[in-house]
Amino acid sequence: MRSPVRIVFEQRSETPKHLSVLVPLLSVVAALVVGALFLLATGYSPIETYSNMLSDGFTSSRGITDTLGLSTVLICTGISAAFAFQMNLYNIGGEGQLYLGMIGGAWVGLAIGDRLPTFVMIPVVLLVGSLAGALWILLPAFVRSRLGTSEIVTTLLLTYIAASLVKHFVYSPGSFFVTKNSAFPQGRLVPDSASLSGIGNTSLYPSFFLVILIALVLFWVVKKTEYGYRIQVISDSPRAAHYAGINANRTTMSVMLISGALSGLGGAVLIVGPFGRLDPGIILLGYGYAGIVIAALARNNFSAIIVSGILFAGLRSGGDKLQISTDTPIHIGVMLQGAILLFALGGEAFRRYHIHAVRTERATQ
Amino acid sequence: MNGNIWVLASADSVAIATTLILAALGALFTERAGVLNLGIEGILLTSAISSFLVADSSGNIWLGLVVGSLVGALLAGIHAVLSVVLRANQIVAGLALVIFGTGLANFLGKPAEGKTVTTLIKPLSFGPLSDIPLIGPIVFRQDPITYASIVIAVLASLYLFRSRPGLELRATGDDPATVDAQGLSVASIRIRYTLFGGLLVGLGGSWLMLAQSAAWHQAATTNGVGWIALALVVFAGWRPMRLIFGAILFGFTLQLPFTLQAEQITFIPSALMQMLPYLATLIALIALSRPSTRNKLGAPKSLGIPFVRDER
Repeated sequence: MRSPVRIVFEQRSETPKHLSVLVPLLSVVAALVVGALFLLATGYSPIETYSNMLSDGFTSSRGITDTLGLSTVLICTGISAAFAFQMNLYNIGGEGQLYLGMIGGAWVGLAIGDRLPTFVMIPVVLLVGSLAGALWILLPAFVRSRLGTSEIVTTLLLTYIAASLVKHFVYSPGSFFVTKNSAFPQGRLVPDSASLSGIGNTSLYPSFFLVILIALVLFWVVKKTEYGYRIQVISDSPRAAHYAGINANRTTMSVMLISGALSGLGGAVLIVGPFGRLDPGIILLGYGYAGIVIAALARNNFSAIIVSGILFAGLRSGGDKLQISTDTPIHIGVMLQGAILLFALGGEAFRRYHIHAVRTERATQ
Repeated sequence: MNGNIWVLASADSVAIATTLILAALGALFTERAGVLNLGIEGILLTSAISSFLVADSSGNIWLGLVVGSLVGALLAGIHAVLSVVLRANQIVAGLALVIFGTGLANFLGKPAEGKTVTTLIKPLSFGPLSDIPLIGPIVFRQDPITYASIVIAVLASLYLFRSRPGLELRATGDDPATVDAQGLSVASIRIRYTLFGGLLVGLGGSWLMLAQSAAWHQAATTNGVGWIALALVVFAGWRPMRLIFGAILFGFTLQLPFTLQAEQITFIPSALMQMLPYLATLIALIALSRPSTRNKLGAPKSLGIPFVRDER
């Protein structure tokens, strides 16, 4: 060994409590510092930018309701990613499943919305959207459980295909989804029976509480039910699961389908909520990709996802308003998301290992 | 139907294959060392915009290519630190890199919006050779980087299968414990090839910008080419020579929508036509994962698994 000192990773038997809080916190701070460097280098004031983001995202009353409203869809994609990730199934096509949720929700809303009352239509839209999301992961789930095809690339490729589908449904002439005889192609609004109104005229919709409830139910399912136990066993040791007579293929299939349905629900939530129509603008927003970050930062813990989902919604909605108020590129929000996750991943090493430097002489084992 | 346009389409397929070959080769080197870098799409985008900004401000496209490639290596360095040094989950680290790279590229790209590269990388001309019908446009009218990418792929194949360091590289991906027992540093080999892989991906992204795209279209500049490149590595069975043919095949599906549009063949709506490259990649991936073919593919056996000596 050339270097006189060596870095040694010692596996921790138990993670100290303070590190579980400190590591995510420090990763956010470190990401903000990196963001500040880029802002400075490109001629923007980091303090002004961050304080604007903070007030637009969290501390103003308008900011809070906007943030909670946006968090609704982000928590959906977050729990979608986490549900698959916890079994080492990397469904990273939540973005495409979300598009399908929008297509399915808008379709059923437009098709039968006129004939049914609101209390029937809202659940129907959410359900059809979820089913459409599940449908979009059916093929990756099937080939993963039967042929072992990596779900990572297949789910992602299907996202690009879903994006083309959204564009097709909005831009092709005479499409069912668009307003007839309109000057420019635009999605048709679903009837009133298929849409909720914001609480107290804000962009926070009642669907927020439904999504929170689902996250908590999933938390319970994973921790307390036999199904959750099965998932745990398969992810910890596939071989043990095999000997215990657990059908891993069937569990793989169901976990992926549920994951797809949850992203689909995120799309349907946009139909009954803020969008109300199939809108190709969704393709630029990346809510599905954000779910991956949210899940990873919460380390696939469903109740922690509620917190990280709201945190990221604030980051995004604060970031999105920057462009309007200060001409700072909105992409700083997405960049910070990625940076936070990168630092959190690096910080994970300090949580799992006791890292220290030793002299080489003593390190020979 | 105009025959000439199909010759041009084939020539375009070879040209578009350049980014695919370079990006997939970068992924191939990284994966051969046992590191899975899913961040290719993010690296492509960031190096593309970096090369644009440098070429635009300096007026020198070659400087743009160099800086773009180095930025690729720099981003891959983040992945190397996370996955090799800190033993993070490589899949999540790669995805984080895609999200970070996309955000960073869009952030940096703000001043580039609405601008175009004034001087593009131009195809070479081989005099009369370039005018040979059929073969001329396809073989003798490409730009230097396209030729270089094919040469690099051939050299990569020789290096991997005919040289001592190539053997060490393959061994690191298959059986790092043996490499370690030989007294070589697994970590150092993995870091070096992850960086080199990033350099190649960066070159691919810069070429895409300075020869193909010419203008910054945010994330649509690469539009998933990085993911297709990752699938291409599987398709090619981690072998550089097969990768060339795969890249030209996928390159064909990537340019087909534009050719059909130019030919005014519109029985398939254009938005649906744009699905073609992704659909073709998807089908190829699934077809290749039939149990009978899977074992022959030769994925590095320790791909994505951190090497830990002390815990053995």
